[in-house]
Parts: sequence; structure tokens; C-alpha cells
Amino acid sequence: MRRWLGLLPIALLAAAAVAWAATTSGSPTRLVLERSWASPGPGLPLGAGEGGVDLAAAVAHGTVRALGLALVVSSLGFLIGAPLGALAGLRGGAVASAVARACDLVQAFPTFLLALAVLAAVRSPSRLHLVFVFSVAAWAPFARMALAEARVLRSSAFVDAARALGAGTARLALRHVLPNLLGPVAVQAGSSAAAVVLGEAALGFLGLGPRDGVSLGAILEQGVVGMLLAPHVLVVGALSVGLVSGALQLASESLQRDP
Amino acid sequence: MKAALVAARTVAGRLLLGVATVWALATLVFLSLRLLPGDPAALVLGDLATAEERAALRRSLHLDEPLLAQYGRFLWGIARLDLGASLRHPTRGAFALALEAFWPTASFSLVAVSMGAVFGTAAGGLSASRLLGGGRRLVHAMTLGVAAIPLLGLAPVATYALAVRARALPLPGDPDAGVAGALFAATLLALPLGAQVARATRAALRELGRAQFLTVAKAKGAGELRVLALHALPAVSGPILTVIGTQLGALLGGAIVLERLFERPGLGTVMIQAYAARDLPVLEAGIVASGALFVLTQALFATLHAAVDPRVRRA
Repeated sequence: MRRWLGLLPIALLAAAAVAWAATTSGSPTRLVLERSWASPGPGLPLGAGEGGVDLAAAVAHGTVRALGLALVVSSLGFLIGAPLGALAGLRGGAVASAVARACDLVQAFPTFLLALAVLAAVRSPSRLHLVFVFSVAAWAPFARMALAEARVLRSSAFVDAARALGAGTARLALRHVLPNLLGPVAVQAGSSAAAVVLGEAALGFLGLGPRDGVSLGAILEQGVVGMLLAPHVLVVGALSVGLVSGALQLASESLQRDP
Repeated sequence: MKAALVAARTVAGRLLLGVATVWALATLVFLSLRLLPGDPAALVLGDLATAEERAALRRSLHLDEPLLAQYGRFLWGIARLDLGASLRHPTRGAFALALEAFWPTASFSLVAVSMGAVFGTAAGGLSASRLLGGGRRLVHAMTLGVAAIPLLGLAPVATYALAVRARALPLPGDPDAGVAGALFAATLLALPLGAQVARATRAALRELGRAQFLTVAKAKGAGELRVLALHALPAVSGPILTVIGTQLGALLGGAIVLERLFERPGLGTVMIQAYAARDLPVLEAGIVASGALFVLTQALFATLHAAVDPRVRRA
């Protein structure tokens, strides 16, 4: 039960962001110059930022997009990494050590630097480019865990029994090993997602995200620029980045705790 | 003799992996700047440039050669630390600009990581020992709390509260403040780093548990602090070193965000300016140089880890 309780904050945050983004009449991109840096008040629950952007709408849309990106990247990482690691663990030998080396290589990879190169090369960066950049390294932790789990499972009695009954490698992998390692490996998704949210916010903070500039990091950047004029923008930006990534970390830690 | 051979092989393997990572990064950077849709020459010169101007730029960047020839030239350029001149400052070499900005980044990262290592080892040791009695839970809860706050949110708020409002501290990027500003920024940075070190230290110490050599030390009359500092902590220095190495590598590689956050000069600033101006040679040089630093630091610390912990060498 306590395991699932840790998922509550991120679920609530996601639901609130989706609900607000779907129902609000405010737009995260429309500029209304005469209300630039306006303090919170009626019609503007979190106030307005640079150029009069409705901060509540910007936070809601930014959160939805960050979580969406995190979901896509960690699903891709899981879909690529888990089968790859499981097969490598089952085959053992040279295949396993090749996959383990590839994981080492990718996990030591400075993703942020690659993002800079990819985003510099295109005229107008889009979310697809972000998905690509983050996915280059996202599969490695999943593959590493699946590899370790598959090694343990390979020598367990029920796999021996299935092999004695004449099951081939493919059948062993699909019917017996993969279902048993999916749970432990999927737990990795929480920390992957938290890393993607922070990475996306950092890119947005530098102004490297998609052109529309809807990102939690972009709000934080506005907050830093307008620190003297309108400290509430800084508070909103810092709190929203902190809450989303904190809630994801809490979720990942409560999932990783042994049941 | 045999141990030395094994150690040499470990170091060689690490270096090889490091070189492979840098090569993969360089290749991906090369390909993304050339294969992604969009003419780099048009990106650099903007929409108003004439066809002749673009062709001239493509020639000077060697973009009109076959891809394989460009790739060979690129790798050879990295090996010689010469990727051509900067587009913005045509008299300066791209690598020279990147390497010049390296020192402020490296010194700042070193100070922050050392501070984090001291905070973290102390907090981790206190939260795993009985020195503070019930206070160790408080220390542990504090490290968990600090670790959960992203620096991206913490740094600007702390700057606002302490430097802008209370005026108790100088702005981190204020050139007049000199060392004080740098120390403030490094302390902020050291908080989350220290929290990570503390978690690793605590986990390693708990795994060590009631090892026999600790019981022996206690039986000989050593106090709690002496057992912790002289017996338990040295035994877990390996995993702590690995965490510190990863952090130092990440700081060198992630300098872009930090320098924007604290408005300090360095390698990250050079890269972000090169990005904004689409100064491709400097961008390439900066990315490859900081990628190499990131990877080499990790390799260095993994080697240190193997040097202090014989168990790792066999792996």
C-alpha cells in the first residue's frame, strides 16, 4: 500500500495540470503587453510573466508537455532496453558483454551536449528532436537492469525445467524470462522520467527548447530576468520545476523500495 | 607483478571506453550538424544572404566535399585540436577559444565538488553512526530533502533571497565580488552534490554493517568517532570516489546550465554564445572538448577507485 502512496503526488500534479490546461481560457503563448509582470489577481491566479503571459496557463501546459516528453522517452527506453537486455542476459557470453559495454558507453554519454548540437543544426527545434536526443541514452539503464535480472532468472529452477521440456531460446525469453523481469525493470522508469523532466527544464531555461517557448524552464528563465521587477515569476517557476521533479523522484523511490 | 598487470589492463580498458565515448559523441555531433534537414550555411548567414555568399561559406567550412572526406577531416582536426577558425572571431582558432574558457569552469567545478564531498561524507557518516543518537534520523531526513530540490530551482531563488533582497551576500556573477561570489555559488552547488555523496556514504556504511574489523577496533577501546573516521570511512572510500567522479564529470559537461544560472564565464558560456551565433566550428570544438573532459574525469575516478579498492580490479 505504501508503495502506491508514493505515486499519489505525481498523479495529482499530472491530473491538475491536464485539467487546467484543458479548461483554462488563458494561453501559454499569447502576449498581452499591458499586463507584463502583473502580480497574481482575479483572472490571473499566478500572475503574468514577461510580455504578459498567463503564468497559470504556462505552468499547466509546460507541466503537461514535460510529463508527456518524459512518458514518451521512458517508454521508448523501456521498449528498447528491456528486450535487448533480456536477450543479452539469456545468451550470455560475447553478446552479454557487448551489450554491457554499450550500456557503459551510453551511460557515460553527455546527453546535454548532444542536445546542443542537434538543436543548433535545425532551423526550428521541435519536440520530436527532444525525444530523439533524450532517447539516445534512455535505453541504457533499462537494458542494464534487464541484463542483470535475466542472468539471475536464467539459472533459476523454473527456467531449467522449461529448458528440460524442450523450450528454445525465443520461447524461454518470451514466456518465462521477460514476464518475470518486466516489473523490476519498469521501476527504472520513474528515475528516467525525473531526469528527462529536469533535462527538458534545463534546455528550456537556456532557451534551447521548441520555438513556442512553452516549458517550465522558460518560466524559470523569465523569473531570473524579472527578479527585481516581479519576484513572483521566479517563485512560480522554481516551485513548479521543483514540485514536478520532486514528485517524480518520490514516485520512483517508493516504487524501488522492496515490497 | 600480476596485480600491476591487472591494474594496467583496467586502466587501458577504461581509457579505451573513454576514447570510444568521445568518438561516438564527435560522430553524432558531426552527423547532426550535416545530415539534419537545413543548410548550415543558410543557418549561419540568415535568409538575406545571396547564393554566392552561401557557396563561399560552404567552401570555407568544407561543406561542399563528400561526407566521408568531411568526416576524415573532422576526426583529423580533433586529433590535432584544430577545427578551423571561429566564424565570429575569424582570427581565433575554435579550439583555442574553447580551451581558454576551460580554466574558470574547471576551478569552479573543483571547488564545488570538494565542498560537496566534505559536507556529504560528514553528513553520511553522521546519519549512519550512533554519534548523534536520535539526531542521525534528522540528518538523514535533511539529506533526503536537499537531494529532492533541483538546483535549477534552488539557485535562482537563493540568489534572489540572499543576494538581492537581504543583500547579505554578493551576486555570484558579480566581477567586483571576486572570490566571495564564486564561493557563494560553489556553496549552493555543493548542497545537492553533498546530499548525493551523503546518500552513497550512508548506503555503503550500512552495507558494511557490523564488519568484524569494526568490532575489533571497538574492542580495543576506540570511540565511535574514531571507528567511523579511521576504520569505517576508509573502507567505503571506493563508492564515494565514484559518486564524486561522476559529479565532477557532470559539472564539467553541464557547465552550460551552471554558468547561465550563476552568470559566470567559462566553457559553457562560450558554447551557448556559439550556439546563438551558429558559430559551428566553436560549437563543435566546445562540445568535443567538454565531452572529453566529462569522460576522462569519470575514467580517472574509476581508476582511483580501482587503486584504493582491490575488489574492483577483478571485475
